[in-house]
Amino acid sequence: MAWKRSDDLPGTHPAEPVPAPPRPNPAPPASPSHEPIRTKGERATIGPSIFIKGDLTGDEDLVIEGRVEGKVDLKGNNVTVGRNGRVRADVFGRVVTIEGEVDGNVFANEQAVLRQSGAIRGNITAPRVVLEDGSRFKGTIDMEPKDRQGSVAAHPGAQPNRIGAETGRAGESPAAAKAG
Amino acid sequence: MSWFSRGTASRREQASKAAAVTAVENEPEAHRSLALPAFFAALARSPKPNVLDLGAALGSNVERLSEFGCKLFIEDLYESKKSAGEGGSLSPQFFTEFLAPPAGTQFDFVLAWDLFDYLSRKELAALGARLRATCRPGALVFALTSIHKTIPAQPIRFRFQGQDQLIYERRSTIERPGPRFAPAELNAALQGFRVDRSFLLRHGIQEYLFVREGA
Repeated sequence: MAWKRSDDLPGTHPAEPVPAPPRPNPAPPASPSHEPIRTKGERATIGPSIFIKGDLTGDEDLVIEGRVEGKVDLKGNNVTVGRNGRVRADVFGRVVTIEGEVDGNVFANEQAVLRQSGAIRGNITAPRVVLEDGSRFKGTIDMEPKDRQGSVAAHPGAQPNRIGAETGRAGESPAAAKAG
Repeated sequence: MSWFSRGTASRREQASKAAAVTAVENEPEAHRSLALPAFFAALARSPKPNVLDLGAALGSNVERLSEFGCKLFIEDLYESKKSAGEGGSLSPQFFTEFLAPPAGTQFDFVLAWDLFDYLSRKELAALGARLRATCRPGALVFALTSIHKTIPAQPIRFRFQGQDQLIYERRSTIERPGPRFAPAELNAALQGFRVDRSFLLRHGIQEYLFVREGA
């Protein structure tokens, strides 16, 4: 089976059972009993040894640690390409986080994040883009002005603060020349 | 695919080697830029401009450019040159493949940083020809050249700071001979462009704003 639920991973369960609060008016289940019960925050993982060729769609968050070729279409959910993930596809998601490698275009409805270990060869379209220093990116970033849609942000701490000795010197161009 | 074929392991090795160098490298320095305000002013006047950044992708620069609602094309020239092999001179064909915007796309602004200093005169002319083909008339090219005999072995990383400052991040303390391009040489290499502004800064960096002629 290609898909592995993160609920089954060690460390994802609460340490101690918490007693359920009393329910004065238990509501009937919203979905028919034959449908799987989905909890918020549920996410699936494609393991490192998995190779998928084709389109991926769904309505839960996804972590890709394996290889995917095709199209990843989870527009309403978060998509993470983990450190081991190798994706040769266009990736659609709400928040798309890249820690591995993507050869394709990234479309994020809310935010695209390229982590330090990540690499994208393709275009990013998102209202907000975060590029961490050390990440590799080749392509285009389609942006909207901050006041219209969102912003593009640097990773915190990416910008050095030290001001050099010559900072702010007025008339730093004794030979300032207008040529041409 | 050479850009993409570097594995994680080799990147780790490179990172550890780089860490050894960065341990002794200079602290970043901020310097006032006299050409940058004009560059930003022109950028602010342009609706949805196409901006070509020939340097490495830096989050803080992308953040700054996002304020102008531009479409940003990031093509790391130095890395591409390294991937193509440092031995020989780069052919015009390399630059044709390196700068291949989508059909109908022309650049309005180019950030060349200090990369001219890392090209031979032949390569610079080839890059100039490619820029001429891919830039819209009136497009601005922001470039810095060193007047010193030696330059850092790798291009400096520049970050915008405010309206008129650049943070200089040297990536290595190792130096190599600099080409010391004269303005006339740059003019000759960048045919189709003329110098709009040029400033010699106290720390030995000459700033240029070239404008694409035509129309």
